[in-house]
Parts: sequence; structure tokens; C-alpha cells
Amino acid sequence: MVIHKRITRTMLDNKAQYLGSLVLILISCLLYTMFNQLSVNMDHITSSFETQYVQEDASFVTDKALTNIPELESKFGVVIDKGGVFDYAVSTDQSLRIFAENDKVNLYALIEGRALSGGDILLDPAYAKAHHIKVGDSIRVEGKDFTVSGFMSLPNYIYPLKKESDLLNDPDHFGIAVIGKDDFAAFHRGSSFYSVKVQGDPDSADSILAELKNELKSQNTVILKWINIDENPRVTAVTAKMANMNKVGAALPVTILLLTCILTGIVIWRMLKKEAVMIGTLYAQGYRMREIMNHYLRYPFVIAVIGGMIGTLLGALTLKPMLGFMVAYFNMPIDSVRFSIAHLAVSLLLPLLFLLISGTFIVRRALGHSPIELMRGGGQSRKIGFLERRLSLNKLKFSTKFKIREQLRSMPRSLFLLFGVALATMLLLLGFTMKSSMDFLLKDTYEDAYKYQYEYVFNSLQQGHPASGEPFSMSPFTETANGQKSFIVYGVRPDTKSISLADKAGSPLRFDQVIVTKPLADRLNIKQNDTIGIISKLDSGRYSIKVDRIADSYIGEYIFMPLTAFNEMLGYPQNSYLGVWSMDKLHFAEDQLLSSSSASDAKAAFASVTQPIQAMLGIISLMSFVIGLIVIYVVTSLIIEENKENISLMKVLGYKKKEVFSLILNSSTYIVILGFIIGVPLLLASMQAMFQSVADSTSFVLPVKINYAYLGLGFVIIILIYELSKAFSKKKINRISMIEALKSRAE
Amino acid sequence: MFMNLESVQKSYQTGDVSTPVLKGVAMGLEQGEIGVILGPSGSGKSTLLNIIGGLDRADAGKVTIGGIEVTGISDAQLTEYRRDCIGFVFQFYNLIPNLTVGENVEVVSNISKSPLKIDEVLKAVGMLEKKSRFPKELSGGEQQRVSIARAVVKNPQLLLCDEPTGALDFNTSRDILKLLQQINKEYGTTILMITHNTAISAMANRIFKVRDGEIVESTVNESVMPAERIEW
Repeated sequence: MVIHKRITRTMLDNKAQYLGSLVLILISCLLYTMFNQLSVNMDHITSSFETQYVQEDASFVTDKALTNIPELESKFGVVIDKGGVFDYAVSTDQSLRIFAENDKVNLYALIEGRALSGGDILLDPAYAKAHHIKVGDSIRVEGKDFTVSGFMSLPNYIYPLKKESDLLNDPDHFGIAVIGKDDFAAFHRGSSFYSVKVQGDPDSADSILAELKNELKSQNTVILKWINIDENPRVTAVTAKMANMNKVGAALPVTILLLTCILTGIVIWRMLKKEAVMIGTLYAQGYRMREIMNHYLRYPFVIAVIGGMIGTLLGALTLKPMLGFMVAYFNMPIDSVRFSIAHLAVSLLLPLLFLLISGTFIVRRALGHSPIELMRGGGQSRKIGFLERRLSLNKLKFSTKFKIREQLRSMPRSLFLLFGVALATMLLLLGFTMKSSMDFLLKDTYEDAYKYQYEYVFNSLQQGHPASGEPFSMSPFTETANGQKSFIVYGVRPDTKSISLADKAGSPLRFDQVIVTKPLADRLNIKQNDTIGIISKLDSGRYSIKVDRIADSYIGEYIFMPLTAFNEMLGYPQNSYLGVWSMDKLHFAEDQLLSSSSASDAKAAFASVTQPIQAMLGIISLMSFVIGLIVIYVVTSLIIEENKENISLMKVLGYKKKEVFSLILNSSTYIVILGFIIGVPLLLASMQAMFQSVADSTSFVLPVKINYAYLGLGFVIIILIYELSKAFSKKKINRISMIEALKSRAE
Repeated sequence: MFMNLESVQKSYQTGDVSTPVLKGVAMGLEQGEIGVILGPSGSGKSTLLNIIGGLDRADAGKVTIGGIEVTGISDAQLTEYRRDCIGFVFQFYNLIPNLTVGENVEVVSNISKSPLKIDEVLKAVGMLEKKSRFPKELSGGEQQRVSIARAVVKNPQLLLCDEPTGALDFNTSRDILKLLQQINKEYGTTILMITHNTAISAMANRIFKVRDGEIVESTVNESVMPAERIEW
């Protein structure tokens, strides 16, 4: 139909409004496609990695070597691989964890280069990249030169954390490597651990592993450490991050689509009002409602199709670089990139669905008038709104009254602006809040709560008093009522100087009592004075503990109890301990240690990880800038369009340019400020909900905090966007001629 | 009679108050004739035209156009009636601003069963040369010519003109009236026009004077004057 020729012309005449909607849809589809295709691929990469390279179901450390592995394997239907590991200190603040090559479980996946042979070493790619090591380079370990034959991933070290309690990995200071069995044996150092994979039905894995533990216990083998794969943070970090990404991937595009629906709805409504006479004329000439409807629905259709296609295409193009970005964090091999047709279809159809539904609603409402009403101006409501009528504005200055009335007159427009500014604020402050929260967590955790600088964990129980440092013990447990997920019970000296915890009121807690950290109390729903039943992960022994106090700490799912009580409960000798905390670096024989770490490692990891966060913060801030600019600019142009006659009249009456700008362009200031004010608590609440929902898989509760300086900066940026869009709009006001607008009034 | 109205009544409700606008109007027009409805503002002539054109409904009475009883048909049938039988010309032209002259005419030819050729109609109204111009590039008179072309292109049985010269100067008005008379002769289109201007009645076959919702005088004009001779 020839009438459809108007579509391109109308769109070109009102570029800002249509381009605004188009860009919003584009962003929304880009984000949807990027997040969801990434999620599909990461799921695929993770599951194929786990299967192909035989990811362990659990790993454990015993006090003595297992001599009957083949019997255990056939008795329980499992595969057990004995692994060897030691940490090689490359420099004072950099260490490389060297593993011996496994043959049955946790096989390395070669990402680049060639497989191991004598004198070769394989590195994790993030570490290699951080230290500019290339395939073919030579590196020295313990005085022996190795050739870097390639890069690899290990299925039990997808997220290469140095300590299990670490939050973030740090390739600048820590990496993993695999060498051949013979090369490893030649070092005559390191400790052993066992990786076990249950064959057959994965559902029976837990019971088989429990039986295996009992068997080891019955053979007088003490299990010093046991970690199931679903509790291994080096693997579960992927799940947690993916869960977060899926939430963002679902919520953000839909929110932006809703914003687009409102924007397009307002633009179409305005167009229908403006074209009421024309629509009435078409009716009069015999056009049917569905023909007119079909015409007006083409506007949202065109925007949704073009925006959807470009956004989906751009989203698909970002997949490969994003996968590269992800595997730089989660060390896994990418076998192939796949596209989910379902997600591509949703990305293309979702904006169509959203916009056509909202468009139909608006067009139907506008076309409901008779041809005569339409030809008389479209049955426009000339009523004064309830709010406008009720508000007593008499005492205010004329300019203030004018601005308030301008906002009250078009509530959908004002709501769109409010919603848009709130969303832009939320996105803008998202990165800042993440950073503030992490800063707070670091300070609260490492500086205020955990005072020690070094932690040494032995591979067998020690007796008596350590020569220096403070003794402690630790053991993993699960709660009898709450199943699988484990936590650590620490035995500490009542006069400990290494840890300082406080209750909710901020009062310091004494360590002659049983203290539970807040993340664990929240998960297990424990209150002060509750008694809980716990099961040892090492020997399946059952115990009960009365909880005296809850510590208001954000990190770690821990129970602290006096060391003597701990030893007594587990039947250990009275003066025994498993580790030492110290302010100074201590020296122990390497074969005595299960692990060692320092607080500075954690700080260094944190510092190096804030860099990608800052990059992400930049991208999100840019996106919020674009959304904010679109929303404010479109609303400002709508205000100008709707006030064309008033602007013309003001000019006729002798208003100066500045005065006209102030009255028309500044009328949205209140809404912009209100949008910012609403955006802040909305962001904090949604981040709180997001952190809480992933707390289960991360074992820490990230406190939602925002620094006042960032808040101020966010406000300045929003106001800057507002000023920028006002500056763009000034030209439009200047272009309105006095004669033209008055002529249109006469007609 | 091609057009026949019997006791047509219409009133508008504002709250509890009912205002009668047409109080039993009866009038008729033969096929191929030009009729003029004269009357002051608020006399009900636009309402009458709207009812005849199927844009509004009478409360009572009977309206028959070309054998179709307009008063008794559904909304969908009314749309078909407007689509197939009626052409409208408005005082303010109501052209679509971002379509060219040719496209504005095409808007109607698109939905017509047996439209006339667009170029032929544009030539008839003297706008063929300006077929590719947009409405804002035309004078008022030229825009009204396009509006007439748009109404005529569907070859309507009845052409309804609502103050077609109301926004135009004398010379342009006379040109438009000449054009309407020419179309009436060339295509045999029955035309009903409403106007304030009594001088225009000289070119009509029948003249209906409306006052306060009633036809106060209905005259058959035996000596129809060519539009170019009309003066006011």
C-alpha cells in the first residue's frame, strides 16, 4: 500500500525518537544474545571438559600412602589416581603449583602446543600470558630447565585459585603447571593426594564415596583433607559466575525492552495524536480499521526487526571474543563454538513480541474514536489531570509552575524519563557498587578480621607447642540436617591474636566460646544458642555443637571453637594442632606441609583482579551513558515537539532565547534528580538479591556497599548526560519559527 | 431519487442535556446533479453531510443513497459504503504531508474497486505537472485540487464537499468550483456541497437552506450557471 511509503519518511523526519528506540532494542538484543549464547557455550565447554578429561568426584589427602588402590577401585567401582604436587616459589611473591601428570583422573587438556615428554612443562595459559611465556620458551624449576611444550587446563583447576578460601584467582602471582611423572619424581619433593572418580551412576557417587571413607577409616588411614567436586571452589566458581551471568542475561535485556516499549509507545501515541485528522480522513475515504492499524504497527515492527537483527548479529559477533575472555578466567579448552538457534530466535522475536503487543494496545486505543472525532483533533482529552488540578502551585514562581505542569501533563512521558534515568543510574553505579563492596570485603576480611600474615597447614597432626606462631586446627564438616555442603570448623586458642571477630553490634567476640560466621549461620539458619548436629567429612563421625555467638563477618563459612574443645570433640591428643598462624614468615620442611599461604597473596590477587572489573565498569558505564542520553534526549525532543506552539508564542511575546531554553529544557530537572534518587536504592536492593542468590555456591556474602565519592561521581555523570542532551536540543528550539507555529494554531 | 433523506433526526448528548441538531430533515438529489446546502454555522449542515457520507449515524429517519439504505447497515458495511460509493473533499484538504501529490491520490486508488487512472485524474484537476511535489510545496488552491483528485479517483457515486472553498481566495475558489462542475460533467458524479456562500448556489441543480436543524427552503434551480460566471 502506498501509504506505507510514509514510514521511512516519517522516521527520517523524527530520527531521534526512532533511532533511540532502535538503539535500545539493539543493546537489548546484543546483551541477550551475548549472555545467553555465552552461557550455552560455557555449559557445553564445562560439561564436555568434565567428561572428556575425567574430572574427579572428590580428592583427598591421607596421613599415609594408600597401598591397596587396585583393590579399592574394584571393590567400590571407582578410579583412583595418586597425584603429586608442590608449590615452587618463582620469586618472593610468585609461585607455580607443579602437578605430576595423571593417567586416570583429572587428565590435562592441551590447549596449545604439544603433549608432554621428558623435560617438558605445560602451563596454564593465564599464567603464561601474565608472564609473557610462549610455547617453546624455557623456564627453570628448582634449578632444572624445562621447555614449555604448550598450555593446558586441568578439570579440577578450572578457576586456578591458590587457596580454596580465595575469592579471586591471580595469574600475576600464581599459576599451575604439569610435568611428566618421571620429572616430578626426580625432584623428590611435594605431597601426595588422591583423585577419585566414581564409575557408573553419578547419583550413587555420594554413597560410594561415603563407603570408601569408611573403608579407609577401618584400615586405620586418617583422612586429613577431603573435598567433593561440588564443593571445590576451583570448579564451582564457574557455576556461580554462570548463574550470575544467566540472571543478568535474562533481566537486563528485558528491562531495556520494557523501556523501549514505553519509548516506542509514547512516540506512536504522539504520532497518532498528531495525525488524528489524517486518520479520520482515511476512515472517511473508506479505509478499514485493520488497514490503518496495519500501517501504524509497521513502525514498531520495522524498529523491532532492524534493531533485533543488528543487535542479534552484533551479539553473535561478540561471542568468540567473550568466550576468549571467559576462558582467560576459567581455564578450559574450547573445542567448538556453537550457536543456539532457540536463543537466536528468541532474540529476534522478543522485541517483536514486546513492541507489537504494546503497539497494538496503543494503536487500538487511539483508533477507537469515530472518524469525525478524529478529524476534529483526535478526541484529545482536554481535561486537566487529577494531580495537576489538585496541586496548589499558586505561590510558586511562574517558571517553576510551568515546569511542574509540563511534567504532570504527560505522565507516561515523565514515567518513561524517571524509569530511564533510574535504569541508567543503576547501570552506571553497578560497577562502582561492585568495587566498593569488594573493597569493603577486603578491608573487613583481611585487614580487620584475619590478622595473621601467614598460614601453614601440616599434612599430619602436630603435638606440643609450635616454636613460633599460633597453633590452630581445622576440619571440614557438614550439618546433619542440611546435607551436602561442607564448612570448616576451626579450633583456635581462646586468647588468639590472629583472628578478631565482632557481633552485629560491633562488640568484639571472645574465642572461649563457639562462634559461627554470618554466611554459614544464614545458610544453615542458625541462631545464637542453637545446638546443631555436624558430620565430619573426613571420617563421617557425628558430633553436636552449641552455638554461642554469631560473628558479623562476610566471608567464609566457618565455626570457631576453643582448640582444646576441638581436640576433645574429635578425640585428638590434648595438645595437638594441624596448622600455625604467624605474623612472620616461618620455615618448615616442605614434606611436612599440606599448604602455606600469606595474606599478601590475597591482597595481590585482589589488586590484579580489580583491573578487569574496571574494564567491565567502563563498558557498563558507557552503556548506561548511551541509554541515559537516548532517554533524556528523546524526552526533551518530545517536550519541544509538544510545545512547538508555546515556544513560538513565547518568541512572539518577546522571551529571550535563554528564557525559552530554561522554561522548556529545564522542565525535566526534577524528574532526572528523582530518577537518580530512586535508582540508588533500587540498585542496592537488586544487588543484595543477586549476591544473596549466589551466596550458596560462593560461601561468602558480599556486602552491598557504595562509596559516597562514587555516588557523587555517578550523580555528576547523570547531570552531565542531561546537560549534553539539553545542548543537543537547543538547535531544535532555535529552528521553530514564529509564523509556522502560529499558522498551525490557526488551522 | 438517487439520494433520498426522510425525517432524519440527530441529537447530541452532553451530560444530561440532549441538543437536537437535525429535526426531521427530508431532502433528495437525482443522479448526476449538483446540490448545495446553505446555512449558517451551527445550523446542522456538517452533521447532515456526515450522516449522508456514513461518518455518523442518524437517531431516526431514513437515508438512502444509490439504493443503499445507509441508516440500517453495520459499522463494517458503512466502511465498505464509504470505500466504494463516497468521495470526500474537506475545507482544509487533509492531505498526508509526507506523501507526494501522486501518492496522496494513490492512497485512495489503492483501496478502490475500479479506480480511474491517477494521471488522468491529476490531469483533469491540472496537477499532473506537480505529481511529485509534497503538499507543503503547493498553494492552498493546489492542495484542494489534489484533495479533489483524491476524492474523484475512486469514481464515487457521490462526492461530498465540506466548504471546499472555505480556506481559499476568490479566484482560487472559482477555479475549484469550475473543477467540480467539470468533474460533474465529465464523470457524471453527483455532488453535494455545503457552504456559507450563497453565491455558490447558482451553479447547483438543487439548493437546500438549513436553519436550526431543519430544511427551511428547498429549491430546484432551472438555470444552472457555469462556475466561471459566479461572482461574490
